[in-house]
Amino acid sequence: MKMSSIDMRDAFIGELYGRARLDKNIIFMSNEYGAPSLDQFRDDLPGQFVNAAISEQNLISTAAGMAMGGKRVYVYSIASFITLRCLEQIKIDLCCMRVPVTIIGVGSCYAYSVDGPTHHATEDISLMRAMANMQIYSPADSNATASLVDVSLNSSDPMYIRLDKGKHPLLYEKNYDVSPGYSVFGDGEDICIVATGTMVHRAIEIGAELRKHSVGTRIIDMYRLKPVSPGNILQAIGRPKKVFTIEEHTIHGGLGSIIAEIMMDANLTIPFRRFAISDDLLYAYGERANLQRCRMLDVDSVVKSILEGEFFRRGVQNVV
Amino acid sequence: MKTGGHIVSSFSCVDILVALYFGGILKVAPENPEWEERDRFILSKGHGETALYAVLASKGFFPEEWIDTSYRRNDCRLGGHPDVKTPGVEVTSGALGHGLGLAAGISLAAKMDGKSHLQFVLLGDAECTEGSVWEAALFASKQGLDNLIAIIDRNHIGSIDFTENYTSLEPFPDKWKAFGWAVRSCDGHNFKDLLDVFNYSKTHENKKPLVVIAETVKGKGVSFMENSPVWHACALTKEDEIRQAREELRRCEDENV
Repeated sequence: MKMSSIDMRDAFIGELYGRARLDKNIIFMSNEYGAPSLDQFRDDLPGQFVNAAISEQNLISTAAGMAMGGKRVYVYSIASFITLRCLEQIKIDLCCMRVPVTIIGVGSCYAYSVDGPTHHATEDISLMRAMANMQIYSPADSNATASLVDVSLNSSDPMYIRLDKGKHPLLYEKNYDVSPGYSVFGDGEDICIVATGTMVHRAIEIGAELRKHSVGTRIIDMYRLKPVSPGNILQAIGRPKKVFTIEEHTIHGGLGSIIAEIMMDANLTIPFRRFAISDDLLYAYGERANLQRCRMLDVDSVVKSILEGEFFRRGVQNVV
Repeated sequence: MKTGGHIVSSFSCVDILVALYFGGILKVAPENPEWEERDRFILSKGHGETALYAVLASKGFFPEEWIDTSYRRNDCRLGGHPDVKTPGVEVTSGALGHGLGLAAGISLAAKMDGKSHLQFVLLGDAECTEGSVWEAALFASKQGLDNLIAIIDRNHIGSIDFTENYTSLEPFPDKWKAFGWAVRSCDGHNFKDLLDVFNYSKTHENKKPLVVIAETVKGKGVSFMENSPVWHACALTKEDEIRQAREELRRCEDENV
């Protein structure tokens, strides 16, 4: 699979830069957080860039105010900080008043793998989906990420875009149409694995391993986590023997919860398991793969777990 | 059901609101609340809603009967804190420490577009213990937002105690000065004083946001409610207290005419 030549955030900011050159109402606000692509934005469009200092609460409030004043505002920061530190500002200043500010959170999940739990964004999906009117996108590659610029420019509601760091394999062509909110890889009928963000790549690798054991898989990339269309997702899941979700996110309220809710609401009782982060914070540092291993979210652990099927015998208590 | 509202918090700031809305300060259009050129008034201390509703109704933003029929009740239009669904209310407030940042954002957008409308924000003094107020204060001065006027209802009482018993707002003017703001103080119950400082605020252009520290009395006008922390969230329910409060407020009104 072809590797992307650019970081996801650079894909987004680069695309946005092109639009901002033509529309002075596009404002980019950062809390002292940079990116290579942002340097060009700052140099060429100084009147459209605001360094709002390390003050996330004020960042959201002022962004909301500027949007009320007619600006199309992007707020940019580390994912864990820009969702948790200013949660009430997001609730009231953006969601209660339906102000269409776009929050770009960089460093989803364990992307800041050497920086510890302060920098791990492992609760953001759960918290953001609890917010009324908030839309959530979690793309898996730089092309899907760049496509979100158009979506955000046309949105009339607040939006949270969680981006991973670094370069990842390309799953989509340029200008990929993200309006469906999900896409399906493979047509195996034994199991379905639903993933989001760059864990989609892990899911595809898991699917490839399982095929060696004659287990047919279908992978769903849920790049839009809110709103979701339950009917479409159920159709994409189909009628496999088992359904799995995999995410670098707490097991409480993330992708696994979304899929479980959709299935239960439809009385779809296929054997189901969530691979996610259990109920404690991880004091582990090092490579991303190491952190995933610590959480049994690496390819080998998941494949082994699926093949042995032990979780179905043990019941759900061991999962949480 | 308790329908009292935040009475004492409203009595401390109602003179400020009257000066703004009826003293020729705020440029607003009750028949067109969304008028783009309007000055924005943001009640950051959302617990002054009783005063705001009375003033907006008197100004003609909505029918005065809403106050009697539709305030803090089932199916009401006027909630226990202001929300944007009410004509004339700029932002949903009630959680503290949001208004100054919102107003700073509106002010910066206006500056970028060369628009001349002003933003007035009313904060409670006890609200100023929220860290987000000072984040916004730093932001507004750095951005040179001289189209932003913060008014502080300095009634010296929070929800359960006098502010200086549990925090250190004083020296209050010095703190704002140190954050890069122009500072004016005034008597928040004296219309001449209020109008002088508000008229000044409309013309001041020195690249600094302006804060007006209005010295007020919580529960102003009703002797048994004045300066008494216990009244913060209390409703007037006893007949004799209601009668006395009305008489005393009428006397206030006569003195002020």
